[in-house]
Amino acid sequence: MTSLSEEVLLVVKKVRQKKQDGTLYLMAERIAWGPEGKDRFTVSHLYADIRCQKISPDGKAKVQLQLVLHTGESTTFHFANESTALKDREAAKELLQQLLPKFKKKANKELEEKNRMLQEDPVLFQLYKDLVVSQVISAEEFWANRLGGINNTDPSPYNNKQEVGISGAFLADIRPQTDGCNGLRYNLTADIIESIFRTYPAVKQKYSENVPHNLTEKEFWTRFFQSHYFHRDRINTGTQDIFSECAKQDEKGLKSLVTQGVKNPLVDLQSLEDKTLDEGYGICTTQPSTSNANKSVKDSSNSAIIKRFNHHSAMVLAAGSRRGELASDQASETSSTDGNSRDSDFFQPPVKKVKLQEAIEFEDLQRENRPKTVPLNLKKSDRYAHGPVPLQSQQYTTSQDIINSVNYIRHEMANYKPSLTQVLSSTAATSAIAALSPGGVLMQGGAQQAINQMVPTEVQGELKHLYVAAGELLRHFWSCFPVNTPFLEEKVIKMKSNLERFQMTKLHPFKEKIQRQYLSTNLTGHLEEMLQTAYSKFQIWQTRRMMRKT
Amino acid sequence: MKLNIEGLLVYFPYDYIYPEQYSYMLELKRTLDAKGHGVLEMPSGTGKTISLLSLIVAYQRAFPLEVTKLIYCSRTVPEIEKVVEELRKLMEFYTKETGESNNFLALALSSRKNLCIHPEVSSLRFGKEVDGKCHSLTASYIRAQHHSNPNLPVCRFYEEFDSVGRQVPLPAGIYNLDDLKAFGRRKGWCPYYLARYSILHANIVVYSYHYLLDPKIADLVSKELAKKSVVVFDEAHNIDNVCIDSMSVNITRRTLDRCQNNVDTLQNTIHKIKETDAAKLREEYRRLVEGLKEANVARETDIYLANPVLPDEILQEAVPGSIRTAEHFVGFMRRFLEYLKSRLRVQHVVQESAPQFLKDIFDKVCIDRKPLRFCAERLQSLLRTLEIADIADFSAVTLISNFATLVSTYSQGFTIIIEPFEDRTPTIANPVLHFSCMDPSIAIKPVFQRFQSVVITSGTLSPLDIYPRILDFRPVTMASFTMTLARTCLCPLIVGRGNDQVALSSKFETREDFAVIRNYGNLLLEMSAIVPDGIVAFFTSYVYMENIVASWYEQGILENIQRNKLIFIETQDAAETSMALEKYQEACENGRGAILLSVARGKVSEGIDFVHHYGRAVIMFGVPYVYTQSRILKARLEYLRDQFQIRENDFLTFDAMRHAAQCVGRAIRGKTDYGLMIFADKRYARADKRGKLPRWIQEHINDGSLNLTVDEAVQLSKHFLRQMAQPFRQEDQLGLSLLTLEQLESEEMLQKITQIAHQT
Repeated sequence: MTSLSEEVLLVVKKVRQKKQDGTLYLMAERIAWGPEGKDRFTVSHLYADIRCQKISPDGKAKVQLQLVLHTGESTTFHFANESTALKDREAAKELLQQLLPKFKKKANKELEEKNRMLQEDPVLFQLYKDLVVSQVISAEEFWANRLGGINNTDPSPYNNKQEVGISGAFLADIRPQTDGCNGLRYNLTADIIESIFRTYPAVKQKYSENVPHNLTEKEFWTRFFQSHYFHRDRINTGTQDIFSECAKQDEKGLKSLVTQGVKNPLVDLQSLEDKTLDEGYGICTTQPSTSNANKSVKDSSNSAIIKRFNHHSAMVLAAGSRRGELASDQASETSSTDGNSRDSDFFQPPVKKVKLQEAIEFEDLQRENRPKTVPLNLKKSDRYAHGPVPLQSQQYTTSQDIINSVNYIRHEMANYKPSLTQVLSSTAATSAIAALSPGGVLMQGGAQQAINQMVPTEVQGELKHLYVAAGELLRHFWSCFPVNTPFLEEKVIKMKSNLERFQMTKLHPFKEKIQRQYLSTNLTGHLEEMLQTAYSKFQIWQTRRMMRKT
Repeated sequence: MKLNIEGLLVYFPYDYIYPEQYSYMLELKRTLDAKGHGVLEMPSGTGKTISLLSLIVAYQRAFPLEVTKLIYCSRTVPEIEKVVEELRKLMEFYTKETGESNNFLALALSSRKNLCIHPEVSSLRFGKEVDGKCHSLTASYIRAQHHSNPNLPVCRFYEEFDSVGRQVPLPAGIYNLDDLKAFGRRKGWCPYYLARYSILHANIVVYSYHYLLDPKIADLVSKELAKKSVVVFDEAHNIDNVCIDSMSVNITRRTLDRCQNNVDTLQNTIHKIKETDAAKLREEYRRLVEGLKEANVARETDIYLANPVLPDEILQEAVPGSIRTAEHFVGFMRRFLEYLKSRLRVQHVVQESAPQFLKDIFDKVCIDRKPLRFCAERLQSLLRTLEIADIADFSAVTLISNFATLVSTYSQGFTIIIEPFEDRTPTIANPVLHFSCMDPSIAIKPVFQRFQSVVITSGTLSPLDIYPRILDFRPVTMASFTMTLARTCLCPLIVGRGNDQVALSSKFETREDFAVIRNYGNLLLEMSAIVPDGIVAFFTSYVYMENIVASWYEQGILENIQRNKLIFIETQDAAETSMALEKYQEACENGRGAILLSVARGKVSEGIDFVHHYGRAVIMFGVPYVYTQSRILKARLEYLRDQFQIRENDFLTFDAMRHAAQCVGRAIRGKTDYGLMIFADKRYARADKRGKLPRWIQEHINDGSLNLTVDEAVQLSKHFLRQMAQPFRQEDQLGLSLLTLEQLESEEMLQKITQIAHQT
């Protein structure tokens, strides 16, 4: 067998594929099938490549399992062991069901991540084009130490991704389908289950209490859909229903929400009326005692629907904001409870005051007298976004401060009076100016800047790309040192050849090109120097290795 | 800015002004000048309150002898607090401009529940409990007993207020409810009684309608307010119902049973007192012989606001001998109670007038009209004498005695209906005696008579002329102002047909029609897909909403709507609805978007504003007619026809349209706001319905949008929303719907403004 090292999770014999009998193996990372009597797999799929599995309906004669790959191909296995076919299939399916999501997420995540990085970073994209597309190095090599870095060391950039809420209609998405013989089929996806759990924690609790021990997953969901809990218009009848407790819990939650009261006094309908009429006065009095008693079943089912809708929406809303606000929730929880008791008038007014002020404000009747601000005018927005982070972020100046200081400076300038007794002597001044002029003593380094004017922009761009590409390659090269494993040895040799190839295919043509345009060949000097350093390092390392070997 | 309103210097606390605010102030000034009453309609969100306050405060400052007080009545507690905050803003502006602090005293008054600072009492949840508990700590005899027995609990805040609070008037300033509480805490005084005491000398009082319109409360609180006051009823579109409610009484079997208990307790207490303190009862008897002279003197000298429950004639007489002693009175009440019980034992519906009732009672149990009229007064006196601790327990007997006085006082304007069961449940006996007031002018009459100017104002008062008729007064000014707009920020659409051409209507015949319900559902579904943030939908009644929601649920429409927005639904439970409302706002706030299904005439439609993103569209499903099968309503319609020559249909349509206007008006709360107003019923297209909408809505309904299908409405809405989403700056409005002082003073603009004010 090819992969003895792999852990085999499940072996199913008598499985047909393309009318050939064989054995199905489920391993840690892949699923494989080999024809009978041969020790080779003719079919082997990594779990990450599988998009989904499908099974034949229960009534069918053939018991089959189909795997659909991301590429669109599919493979069908026919469980042919007459007595245990169904059981075999179920076992395989269950296992796959557990395994697939893990790999699916991983695969998708990686792909997404790569895509995202390339899209977000134009430099990287260019690099990718330069190195991978032109086949200087392979894609795997390219990503090898990039993704690693992202995945392990620096998860922050996508950790603060926005939390996705739950669709209000997730229950509506579970469309029951008739299966032909008086039955209903519900298709549940992992997303829907996740939504149900997030919205109704009570169900999740039930699930974790019951599922492995008392019920199978399938049974659990069957009961869920059968219960009145899902069919909200049904009146609670059976007590054997495991979800009746959930309903009660929901009821309790709803009640506690109601008794908690509302924080915004403007929407509190209970305290809206100042003085209600005393009992017995008024035109239309409702008699709660009687109206409850003789409510028809239909009426109460209607009001149950209404109640459930309110509850459902509140839960969905809460589920959406739950995670982010976990910490602050605690705070508001406590505050809202004592906001409820009437003793806490000391606490209440701020909300009320703010709301009242909001309510009476006419923004268009007022002159806008906000403090003047400096509009942000960005030439390169990406530099703004990726700029260095100040260590002390607390110390910043407001725009008002800036305006003030600008005004102050302007004021200073206007009132500037040179004190003529304290100036430099003319000779000292001229020598200073000379030193600071182009070509002067202090401006030696400035010659490099002239490249801006000397070289046409497209050459500049090309040069830039070359630098980036060379930098990337060199980084790979240097990261191999110290070479202490066979793998690194292999890599360093490969990198050396990569570098040489880069010099041949990229750098030399560029050099010739600028020579043709009669530009200073000096442009590539630094690049070559860097490569040379790498070569010499390699040389030294190789000679050392030779010496050690001999 | 400082304005010149026909020679009156008005400080207006903003840098700009809307043209309609200017003309509103102009009309208001004319009303005050004429010392008459006025009816003014101006859309909400155009700064009605601040215009009112600015002008009246300026008037008070200019003519301190002409107008001594402003009594500002509003409907809800948040409204009251908003008014006071606006007033504070105005006063701050005065101080800034004139450099001197003026000595205005303005305060809000609310029920004990909102003002109490006693740690135990204020922790009670319901207003009635708070009142009862307060009374048991502050009643005069309790306090007298406290002197002899210091262990008896009294309210230390009230005691403190009573001993020192009255000597020094409340320092000038603006006191909102919370300010009063803070002040009370600092001084250790009871804020409620402090406020009640201070309204007598305050320049501005802000409180709820009931303090002026409900005779039971007005008698306690507002009796002594100065005659030279200006009374403003804000949000007054429902004022007739408030009047009627305060004068109507319902008596059920339960009421009678409780009343029976009350009478028994009274009897026992009388026995006890007789043994221990017979002098007390003799003293009471003497007082009753002397009669109600005091009250009479006060009313004649024009100090008191008249109490409609206490008609003029009876003040001149002493309490009749038959009910003068305590025992006799209790016996009398027993007889009356038995009579009422016998009346409730009917098998069929009875409707009769007050004189018929009086004749019947005389025939059957020999109760005369005269002692009945004194019932309420007599009971009050007895309760005082007997030192009953918890008045709240005696609400039943108080109710019965009020009924007795009312039924014997007014031969007109009331009707008595006895129903043995509810219409919907004819098998369950639940007899109710409705004594219902049909004439709102009875309750409000003393207000019009006593105060020199009464201004009735609201965002929706159309048609204007109906209010003077049903409230029976003669206004000197009536005006309706529209909203000047730089961009048309409201988009009323009348959707009359579904996409399948089925006529949409909530009328009775098609109420259960699935095609209509489905099309309504489609409309909501389509709207939920295109309208950002919040949508509010109103149904004509709660039952109708329940049915529609149920069938939408069955048809899967609600599930589809849930894909776009979360759904919240008003329930009959106020606490639950408050929660739903808050969640709804939260969902609008965080960008998820939500739909609130609500009921016209419900609490939400009356008291909650949906500003900006809280309501980008309002959908009115059907025409919110009142339940026309009710006998009380029928009686009222008959009365209106006979007394005021208002046709039944006119009144019903008027009533339906004012509620529809209230509902859709919830979404527009200012000129920077915008919103769709969708009337989903083909009947809105008719001239008689449309013509009763407020002018500021009516003028934006063009002929093209009278009978739209759902699809057409969606197209128009999309277009509208896209336009509205463009940035809207102050400069866009300036000179058109927003004026600087210079612009206002230009000749041209003044001319334009006179055109804006549509005199009716």
